[in-house]
Amino acid sequence: MTGELASVPALEMRGITKRYPGVVANDHIDLDVRRGEIHALLGENGAGKTTLMNILYGLARPNEGEILLDGKTVQIADPSDAISRGISMVHQHFMLVPVLSVAENVVLGAETMARGPFLDRREASKRIAALAAQFGFELDPDARVGSLSVGQQQRVEILKALYRDAQILVLDEPTAVLTPQETDEIFVLLRRLADDGRSIIFISHKLYEVLAIADRITVIRRGRVIGDRKPGETTEAELAELMVGREVELTVDRGASHVGGPMLHVEGLRVTDERKHEIVPGVSLDIRAGEILGIAGVAGNGQDELIEALIGLRKPSGGKVSLDGRDITGCSPRDMNRAGVGYVPGDRHRFGLILSFPVYDNLILTSYYREPYSHGPLRDGAAVAESADAQVARFDIRVPSSNVATSTLSGGNQQKVIVAREFERPLKLLILDQPTRGLDVGSIEFIHKQIIAKRDAGTAVLLVSAELDEVMEISDRIAVIYRGRIVAELDGRTADKSAVGLLMATGGEANPAEEATA
Amino acid sequence: MSAPAGTAGSGFSLRDWGSSLFWTLAESVTAILLAVVVGGIGITLFSGFLPNNHPAFDVGLPFAAYGALWSGAVGSINGIGSTLSYATPLALAGLGVGLGFKAGLFNIGGRGQFLMGSVGAMAVVTVMGPSQNGLITVPLALIVGGLFGAFAGFIPGALKATSGAHEVVTTIMLNYIFVFATYWAISGPLRLPNSPQAITADASAWGAALPTIHIPEVDILGLHLFGADVLGRDAHYGILLAVLALPVIWFLLFRTTLGFEIRAAGANSDAARYAGMKTKQLVVLTMSMAGGLCGLAGATTLLGVVHQMAPGYDTTIGFDAITVALVGRSNPVGIGLAALLFGGMRAGAQTMQISPGVPGELVDALQMFILLFLVINILRRWMAKRPTGGSALTTGAEVAPLAAEVSK
Amino acid sequence: MTFKHRNVLALLAATALVASACSSSAATASPVVTPSPVVTEAASATAAPSAPSATATPLALKIGVVTDVGRVDDKNFNQYSYEGAKAAATALGTTAEYVVPKDASDYTKDIQSFIDQKYNVIVTVGFNLGDATIKAAKANPNVWFIAVDVAPCVDATGAPDSTFKCAGDASKLLPHLIGVTFQEDQAGYLAGIVAASVSKTGNIGQLGGINNNPAVVRYLQGYQLGAASYKASTKVQTDFFSTGDLGKAYGDPVFGKTFSTQFIKQKGVDVLFQVAGGTGNGALDAACAANILAIGVDVDEYLSYPTADKCIVTSAEKHLSSAVNQTITAISKGTAAGGVSKFNAANDGIGISPFHNTAITIPADVQGKLDTALAAMKAGTLKTCPDTCGTWK
Repeated sequence: MTGELASVPALEMRGITKRYPGVVANDHIDLDVRRGEIHALLGENGAGKTTLMNILYGLARPNEGEILLDGKTVQIADPSDAISRGISMVHQHFMLVPVLSVAENVVLGAETMARGPFLDRREASKRIAALAAQFGFELDPDARVGSLSVGQQQRVEILKALYRDAQILVLDEPTAVLTPQETDEIFVLLRRLADDGRSIIFISHKLYEVLAIADRITVIRRGRVIGDRKPGETTEAELAELMVGREVELTVDRGASHVGGPMLHVEGLRVTDERKHEIVPGVSLDIRAGEILGIAGVAGNGQDELIEALIGLRKPSGGKVSLDGRDITGCSPRDMNRAGVGYVPGDRHRFGLILSFPVYDNLILTSYYREPYSHGPLRDGAAVAESADAQVARFDIRVPSSNVATSTLSGGNQQKVIVAREFERPLKLLILDQPTRGLDVGSIEFIHKQIIAKRDAGTAVLLVSAELDEVMEISDRIAVIYRGRIVAELDGRTADKSAVGLLMATGGEANPAEEATA
Repeated sequence: MSAPAGTAGSGFSLRDWGSSLFWTLAESVTAILLAVVVGGIGITLFSGFLPNNHPAFDVGLPFAAYGALWSGAVGSINGIGSTLSYATPLALAGLGVGLGFKAGLFNIGGRGQFLMGSVGAMAVVTVMGPSQNGLITVPLALIVGGLFGAFAGFIPGALKATSGAHEVVTTIMLNYIFVFATYWAISGPLRLPNSPQAITADASAWGAALPTIHIPEVDILGLHLFGADVLGRDAHYGILLAVLALPVIWFLLFRTTLGFEIRAAGANSDAARYAGMKTKQLVVLTMSMAGGLCGLAGATTLLGVVHQMAPGYDTTIGFDAITVALVGRSNPVGIGLAALLFGGMRAGAQTMQISPGVPGELVDALQMFILLFLVINILRRWMAKRPTGGSALTTGAEVAPLAAEVSK
Repeated sequence: MTFKHRNVLALLAATALVASACSSSAATASPVVTPSPVVTEAASATAAPSAPSATATPLALKIGVVTDVGRVDDKNFNQYSYEGAKAAATALGTTAEYVVPKDASDYTKDIQSFIDQKYNVIVTVGFNLGDATIKAAKANPNVWFIAVDVAPCVDATGAPDSTFKCAGDASKLLPHLIGVTFQEDQAGYLAGIVAASVSKTGNIGQLGGINNNPAVVRYLQGYQLGAASYKASTKVQTDFFSTGDLGKAYGDPVFGKTFSTQFIKQKGVDVLFQVAGGTGNGALDAACAANILAIGVDVDEYLSYPTADKCIVTSAEKHLSSAVNQTITAISKGTAAGGVSKFNAANDGIGISPFHNTAITIPADVQGKLDTALAAMKAGTLKTCPDTCGTWK
């Protein structure tokens, strides 16, 4: 991949330092990226990767250091300056206009002025079609962006960059929003771009991905470059250690479970959605105290509705739920909470946290109404603050203070806030919906350990996750859900991953009839 | 993020709080100053077109105008009293709108709620008849006025909770209904019998007015103290209601579990619902409280200032209160200050119109400019924060996060 | 903002009282032989200082105008009242300032602001300010108040009378309060002449806001007599928008249009006169839509309501500017007295608007008939209202 041109790096960043009040986001970072290279930037959330790329893209000015393009020092004033120098960025959140077509989105902001104020659609379409053909994009230039899948939208973003003749393409966690299938496709595409002589900076915290795609890996921790590795010469374990700064257990030792009496008993639970479709046509399951039941399933097989019924947000249309021998069918979320049900939602920004609120308020979001946080209708600010400080310490939540807005925290620390909140009190049942989605290895390890600890304290744990690896790793038992039914139950320690995968995809042989009718 | 965990708490807290408050204040103050400058330029440019014969491009006129505004608002005891009396409904209705903002609701129905509050208060006065005991009527009229306003707020709240009808649409539409309901009340049940024109009783003539704040003369060791309208002739006791409401609403928002729920539902209603809060009930309750506050604004204005309703009885408070809530960032402290600012501008406007003869519309223009500059900033922040890709593609016009942004 | 709405309210308020109106600025190209008010003013102004008054020195006037809610340039009674005050002030070598209240809570304070600044003539515009004006007059006996459009109704103590028995004699109790009122039937009479003249079918209509408002009724009664005077066979169809609901009577143009469209269709009239504020605007719209002619009221509605200018023939006007001007001049001369001051043809208090719309053919004899009628009104020889004047039978 690296030809004779590689003698001068396409991009060199020297001694980049960026200080924010109270934080050094980048501390003398050196980075060089060659032509035709896929260069991974690896680091935990908050390590300083994004800051570095913002500097490259002209969104932030470094306090020290210089940037060289093809060996020449440049000052990058703003993003449009960066683009004109051949640097493009594909953000995690796409900057697309949903109501416009692919071609219109690609051209937006880079319209040719040949026809004065009028858009030369034909010329634009021609160029887009040529680019798409060259790199094997499968995109209809006239399709409305709003109707495209997330993976396709990402390709529109990349096409945008190519249309602007990007030589250096920065992708900020491009796989975070993709399915495994789409991830494979994007990797093929990125490799083609690199082979064409372009440089790609690939930001990620997923170890296996980085090993799969990168030519070179630079690891950043707390604003500093910690190491430079080539995929063939390193391992996931080593990268994880570089990233986190200590040895990381990539697989948590789930230990032996000490299973107690029956805790959660669900019998023939039926749940319908807003359109009166029966999404869960009858689920029965049991979880005993001190046991983790993992629910494996492809997203959209009734997991959300099942969870919503169990936490009281959705009234079941039939069946029975009891907790520790008490019937809790159809109880409100508040009653569930009182009964000892804890819940970690899948979409923490939407359902789990109030980002504009200070950390201490999010730490009591589900228990604010109880003593000691409230006395009757009055809140006790001192008790809230006191408990917040204790939890911040206990769960190692990295915040300057518990009264900063929760939005300023990294994803891992935000998830820790939810975990701290739900795990802090004695629970009978803990429901976890994708508890480690989007987190870095250090945070995943921490949260998995907390789950095990909660289990060992005698809580029944229901774990729902689309990441089969996670379910396999920590569950004592695995139930496979398919079209709203539990189609198989397996032992968590002995289950075979490919067998579970097959059950998830087909529902096994339990439902051949349904398969046919569907 | 790299700070040591947990323990660093209190050291940073005050500074964080201080700086965010500083920037919030700075944003409002900047908008006000910009508006003053633009307004001044406007007066100079249009001085030649004013009805009362000013020279064209009169550079001195803005200074004269602002000077008159200032002296009219705070230059005398009567001016201060007038400022306070104008600030009272602004503060009450501003709290009503601000409370809505905190809950993620755009209450555009201040006008209708104010009118219903006035109608409620006048209904009590009418029922009690020509000679009544103000000590009984006035509190009763205030309560009924507040309840009428609360009902006017309850309707859009209930519509939102039950059918999801957006409160912006319903409150605007209800405003028209309440305006005509007010006409109807004035020309029907509240109309004075025998009157040649539709007009209601005069609360002051019937002994049901909120009296001017007056401290009786006391004789201490030969010194004659007080015995005066301490805040001038316009300062009525309704002012105390606003002075009381500000800390009460502050306390509600920041010191009670209900306030926590309101703020949580406003900032992220999904998360609030997942946390077990009854968000629909909160919408109804918050809108009712907001309506009640706007209704109190109407009741105090009627009993303290206007005393009587004629067919033209109306208010711009619904709009003004939005500005007050925005400038005050929906915080009761800020709302109090903003109410004083706009109340002062209105009190000063009278002096300014008489001499140097600048139209009172200047005050409206200033208010609009302040709003404009603030909204530009708020929108800019909201746009910057709004996710633009992925899931956002499916989101339509979701206003609640904007309302939350507004309340920062 | 809400200016537009406030205008509607102002208009509503204005006509609800009906006593209001104006003219003066329309004096140019007037079809009426009225001497131009401006000329009159100038003459009286120059005459004033030269004619030594028996009662000491002429009063140095500071004139303030509190308009009703809305705008000062509304081409309606706010504007013409202020213009009248301004004209008088100019003639007297002083100035007139104005304040526009934002809403009803400003009335008292706006009046008080003028008093605080030692203004000694305060003009308040419209019935809505009536009670506030009466109270201010009671509290400030040395300040002259001109309540445009208000016949002060006070009790024995000089306070506004909520029973409307008007037991107190306002002219004695409040000797410096002048209520300016107009003789609507005379203006209506002139409008009736024009309406009958432009009608092709001899079937004309009139709509009032409400049937128990004497001012509204006087307009309509004058219109009937005027139409009959032009052509005895003219048929005048009458209806009212409401019998109790003031919102419908004066504040609802949409209802006004619906109601009027129906009225025009059923009665088959080809000229329509309306006395109904904002509701009346709806009637003007309906007339335009039905392709018939319409007649405005109070002010020159060709100017104040241009939406309907293509079908407005003329308007029955109250010469508000002239009335305010004359009243202030009288105060300066020391000839003014408290109580109701009635304005009619004799003192240029009423009239009819110019025929702006050249597309509408006015019969040649109309101007002559108008001149004759006006002269007879001035002489006091023309009956413009039946014995039941002010009450609809």
